[in-house]
Amino acid sequence: MLSWNGRRGGLRIERKHMHRERAGGGLQSLLQYKDALWLAIWLAGLAALGVWDVLFLNRPALTRLAAASVNTALVASGVVVCSSLMGWVSALALHFFDHGRHRWAYLLTTFLLSLIRSVPQIVGILLGYVVLTLLIRGEVLRQQASQLVVMSLIISVFVFLEVTDLIRERIRHYRKLDFFDAMLCSGVREGRIINLEILWKNSRAHLLHKAIHIFGATVFLLCSVDFIISVGLSTDVSLSNFPPTLGGLLATMDSKQDILAISTVSTDPLALPDLFFEHLQGISTAFTIVFTLLCMYRISSHFVARRRLE
Amino acid sequence: MKRKLLEHLFSVVVVGAVFGFVIVGVHQQQAEEAGVHDPAVAEALGLRFLDFGDPLDRALYKESLDAFIPQQRERHEALLEAILDARRQQFTDELYKTGAEQRGITGEKLQRVLGMYVQFILVYVVVMAISVYAAETFGTLRFVRSKQGTSSSLAQMMIVLTNDTIPAPQRYLRALGLLIAACAKGAGLMILFSPAYVIAYSFKTRFDTDSVVFMIVLGIVSNGVLVHYVNKFYTFLVAESRKGYVETALVKNLNHSYSTRDPDGIYRGDIFRIRKRFPKHVFQHIYLNAHHQYLPALKEHAAFVVSGLVIIEMALNIQGHLNYEMLKYILYKQYDMVLVIVFAIYLLVKGTEVFVDVIVEREARRLENRA
Repeated sequence: MLSWNGRRGGLRIERKHMHRERAGGGLQSLLQYKDALWLAIWLAGLAALGVWDVLFLNRPALTRLAAASVNTALVASGVVVCSSLMGWVSALALHFFDHGRHRWAYLLTTFLLSLIRSVPQIVGILLGYVVLTLLIRGEVLRQQASQLVVMSLIISVFVFLEVTDLIRERIRHYRKLDFFDAMLCSGVREGRIINLEILWKNSRAHLLHKAIHIFGATVFLLCSVDFIISVGLSTDVSLSNFPPTLGGLLATMDSKQDILAISTVSTDPLALPDLFFEHLQGISTAFTIVFTLLCMYRISSHFVARRRLE
Repeated sequence: MKRKLLEHLFSVVVVGAVFGFVIVGVHQQQAEEAGVHDPAVAEALGLRFLDFGDPLDRALYKESLDAFIPQQRERHEALLEAILDARRQQFTDELYKTGAEQRGITGEKLQRVLGMYVQFILVYVVVMAISVYAAETFGTLRFVRSKQGTSSSLAQMMIVLTNDTIPAPQRYLRALGLLIAACAKGAGLMILFSPAYVIAYSFKTRFDTDSVVFMIVLGIVSNGVLVHYVNKFYTFLVAESRKGYVETALVKNLNHSYSTRDPDGIYRGDIFRIRKRFPKHVFQHIYLNAHHQYLPALKEHAAFVVSGLVIIEMALNIQGHLNYEMLKYILYKQYDMVLVIVFAIYLLVKGTEVFVDVIVEREARRLENRA
């Protein structure tokens, strides 16, 4: 019995040891996979900020900040989905027009894409927002959800070309290899080779990297456009017209005062603690934007390094 | 090369034609909208001897109409209401209140916008030149430091803390110094990733944020431009350093020490030179090839910089600058002028693309020993 107990005890210790090893391994792999580490840092940072805001930020401001953060994340996710779809469709269309001897269709599509490419993203999105304003004023878009969807679509139009370029580059790369022709000879449809073999089986990491990059870029573009609109076009087109986002929230008078307070710290260092208690709305908004941009960049670059995508 | 230039020219002509077509369409639509729709109202407002602001004139007008066509009294009342509405709109609608400025595309406006455009191009050229230099310099510096085996301040701090050979107070002081350095680097990174408007508002009470110099500084350090392209150049250097010719160069005994103290190593001053040269060092070839790969990426870099400058001018409401003017035109729905400015920006981006293509071709000819 004793030996049996001992064995059980021994086993338990062994299990505990294994558990410890596994936990150590998890931490080690997190440290090794720096992209995962930065993802954890991003989530932990936002969670810590959330807890701090719950404790010290007044209720209306907290509600506004939460709504703005959620809307920004929703639009950014929407852009990732829309631009992936648009990029996939346009890349395949270009590929089949090019190889299917539809020269005019190919030239027309290329011209349209070049036209979009040649307009700076921010200007294009701003013009898109003019259309969005007209739709909101005309009460075509009444629901906030539909407004967010249109915002995602507008930004996607000026972002999806990155996905198109990536997919075309991947197809071009694999077309040069023997397996492409071999599969064609084996009777596998070209669409299946491209979608399943090239994109799904061999390009997921590249597409995921692009998705991370687009998420970060969208946060930047969305916040910038909303800030510009709220500051520059503040008569008719204002926060009251659009769903709140982090850029719009940053452009409010309260937030701007909070950000302005940062410069007072250089002359009066004792005012530093006030930033984290009295100027929390603006500081939290700015921190969320900047921290997200930093973390997305870090996740993206470490992901590239780990998967050797360069 | 000729083919590429022709493609660019064709693209400019076609896009110009599309913009021209849209501008004319918008211009006509605006002219129609600006005019009074009801011809009877337009005719009445054209009567110079009547002042519809004066109740006596209003009564005189209505009574005259009633006297001539007595069976349409209600219609006359409605017409008078419409006339008063049109007058009210002319006085109160913000679209009519864009200063004394005439609507549509005028020579005066184009001249003013041209001045702003030239200023925008100058700022853009300066920002591009400095940011390209900075990207290559800091990318090189980062590569050299990684080859020297320099680890991050936090990693160094951990090493110092676990090093028992250093006496305790000295160890903690050193660790504290490294922690402060790590925090400073973190803060620096946060600034580099901050959108321009966050930085500008943070320093608004310290500097004149409307100055061109501040705009140039913001254009370089904000919006993540610098970090992004430093990393891009660094990635090219890393990819090049893994290639076979580097191994061959090492076998052929080229210098490969990355120490800045070693006479055969890298001289720190060379890293900061505008035309970087690392004679007799393997890094010379790594750098040249990475630089060659980086040149086509300048197109993307240029688009990024233009977007950044547009954001800075618009978000900070820098008056008298091209993009603030565009924002004003959007606000006052003068879309024809907006399209003119967008086309001007398009030309700038296109001009950069042509310039980059010419440089890439020249460089390729030089490297491939083509005539």
